[in-house]
Amino acid sequence: MPAKRTFCGSPEHAVNRRAFLGAAGAAGATLAADMTQLDALASPAVNDALKKTQKRVILLWLAGGASQLETWDPKPGAPTGGPFRAIKTDVPGVAISELMPKMAQRMKHTCILRGLDTKNGDHGSAAVTMMRGRRNEAAIRYPDLGAVLAREMGRPDSKVPDYVSFYTQTEGRSMAPGDAGFLGARYAPMDLTTNNVPDFIRRLADITDLDHKERSDLRDVLGKQFAAGRHSETLGSQNEAYERVRGLMSSEKLFDVTQEPQKVRDRYGPGQFAEQTLIARRLVEAGVPFVRVGRAWWDSHGQNFETHQEMVPELDHVMATLIDDLKDRGMLDDVMIVTLSEFGRTPAINASLGRDHFASAWSSTITGCGIKGGSVYGKTDANGNKVVAEHVDAGSLFATIYEALGINPEKNYYYGSRPIPLVNPGIEPIKAVLK
Amino acid sequence: MPAPNPDTLKLAKDFSRPSIVFGVARKAGTGTIYLACSDFKVYAADITAAKFEPKELYGHESYATSVALAGTTLVSGGYDGKLMWWDTAAGKVARTTDAHAKWIRKVVASPDGKFVASVADDMACKVWDAGTGKLVHDLRGHKEKTPHDFTSMLYAVAYSADGSLLATGDKVGHVAVWDAKTGAQVGACEAPVMYTWDKQQRLHSIGGTRSLAFSPDGKQLAVGGMGKVGNIDHLEGKARVEVFDWKAGKQTAEFPGDKFAGLVNRLAWAPDGSWLLGAGGAGEGFLLFFDVAAKKTLRQEKVMMHVHDVDLSPDAKELVCVGHNKITVHKLG
Repeated sequence: MPAKRTFCGSPEHAVNRRAFLGAAGAAGATLAADMTQLDALASPAVNDALKKTQKRVILLWLAGGASQLETWDPKPGAPTGGPFRAIKTDVPGVAISELMPKMAQRMKHTCILRGLDTKNGDHGSAAVTMMRGRRNEAAIRYPDLGAVLAREMGRPDSKVPDYVSFYTQTEGRSMAPGDAGFLGARYAPMDLTTNNVPDFIRRLADITDLDHKERSDLRDVLGKQFAAGRHSETLGSQNEAYERVRGLMSSEKLFDVTQEPQKVRDRYGPGQFAEQTLIARRLVEAGVPFVRVGRAWWDSHGQNFETHQEMVPELDHVMATLIDDLKDRGMLDDVMIVTLSEFGRTPAINASLGRDHFASAWSSTITGCGIKGGSVYGKTDANGNKVVAEHVDAGSLFATIYEALGINPEKNYYYGSRPIPLVNPGIEPIKAVLK
Repeated sequence: MPAPNPDTLKLAKDFSRPSIVFGVARKAGTGTIYLACSDFKVYAADITAAKFEPKELYGHESYATSVALAGTTLVSGGYDGKLMWWDTAAGKVARTTDAHAKWIRKVVASPDGKFVASVADDMACKVWDAGTGKLVHDLRGHKEKTPHDFTSMLYAVAYSADGSLLATGDKVGHVAVWDAKTGAQVGACEAPVMYTWDKQQRLHSIGGTRSLAFSPDGKQLAVGGMGKVGNIDHLEGKARVEVFDWKAGKQTAEFPGDKFAGLVNRLAWAPDGSWLLGAGGAGEGFLLFFDVAAKKTLRQEKVMMHVHDVDLSPDAKELVCVGHNKITVHKLG
């Protein structure tokens, strides 16, 4: 019998999907034989399997620094509050900006962290910190969230990438690159910057499949000879990365948004952010542990209110649609959505009606996957100038994410012989927002 | 009588304010001004008094963005979408109107004081009977979405000197001209340079048509905003004014700016048409004077605050500027 077409079109992928779904038992395996529709994964039987195996994370990276006052922590009527009103949500006592009416109806799924105090108002170094949960040391480049989750939640035999990062705009891209740090190339992101489909994923037309395989085998032999007698996590990681090449080459269709039914595409709406978020959903559904969707650029030193009037409704729509979509597919308990920036924006309004960089009292959200929906942690003062209760720093945010995903934040990696815990010693997860 | 020479412009007074002042209207022939402010409130003040003491009249539920005097009725608009009608003689709010579904940007009164026009981000220009508060026209000629599928904004509205025309201007630089009596659209102009869409670096936009003013004879229409912006994080585009023969929809003069960056938030012609004033700002403010016929910039003056609105007296001898935490009074002639 000819192999049935898989949703990525690759017989190898079909085998791999079968292996993956083997853990789900007979029902999952049966479905794996016909993956022509990604919706097959929405089957309760398959999603039960996902629940038992892996969690997933979609990070909506609001690059440049979205304003907490025009999103999650409005201060209507305060001198710093700006013109937008606060609206009630489906969680009694919780109000958010009027620019987010759709999320206001879905806050029961989402936790707001209003007490971020991260000290650093510089785009570059703050982005590095907020992608890693701590500052790099002089001698150690820490892996970022995506790399850690790729290592913790990726599967060795996976033919899909473990870490995908979309960042199409040029502003700020170099400030917040995905970075596996000392974990090495195996956990580095597949970076998509110019196209929603990975560049160079296809085999060159003038190389036969046999040639490609033989070249790979030769590289493997040479790599193993080189590695013999050497002990290096980075070297091992490098070799593993090459071993995954042929599998990744077969994942192209995952990135093709036209594979989605038109009604689903219409639901997300037009625009790059919507399309990339829909692709992110396709990716996590297919088993990718971590996807970052970079939405640049929120740096509103001039005309803050116009900028947020333009960008927040887009975030509101896309995030609400993603929540609905995951919920409809029975995946919201297994896929976490995080909104995060490098910092927030000043309560003070400058002469250009802008807000500047501000890291002393800003907001992030976590939705789904082990987090208490409807919870609010952290309180800022009347003008939003400082956190007055329940401070959160980058480390405790990351510890909370790890804990919610079932990963021990105190787990050690080893850099040489030095143990490196996932978060710095003494950092605790925020128990109040964990289920 | 010829208008005073812009070279005679001098700062006479300045006052500090704790809030941002977005709008000003002056009772003709007096020192009384009305102010729309970021603390949601509308104030009255006397700029000729020994001590400048604005008195709170009433409040909106969000930023009060604009005020206009229609006879003895003061009308204010706000980000709450409401128009509030203040009877200046009785000293009380006469009515409150849920006027627009989104944020009101500007309110103007017809020269005879019989009508009031408001524009808002629901992309409607609404004309109201100033006496009864009844809606007369709901003018729809601006697209709700930008070409890049984001919500647009309707910033500017102006009456012609004889009250027969209205002009409205939106975020993408589209300007519509209306017959004020019938509500029919009678012309359109395009000023696309005033809208910057950054697809590559930042994926959002900045700019827009921020101010409009008909020449005294009603034949020309001046449009104010900001030129193309490289880094749209900041108001760093040059202050820009274009003048159109609005009937032909053709640009007749262009002042791309060579000194100040920022938005031209307000335009006003000298009563004899000999010059055009543009006021606005970014981190700091400016006053620009143009000889439109000669296509020449006459004077460019720094102001101590980003200027959001001005009131030019009928004889053009006194100019009140309001803006970021400041009010200034300049004399001409």
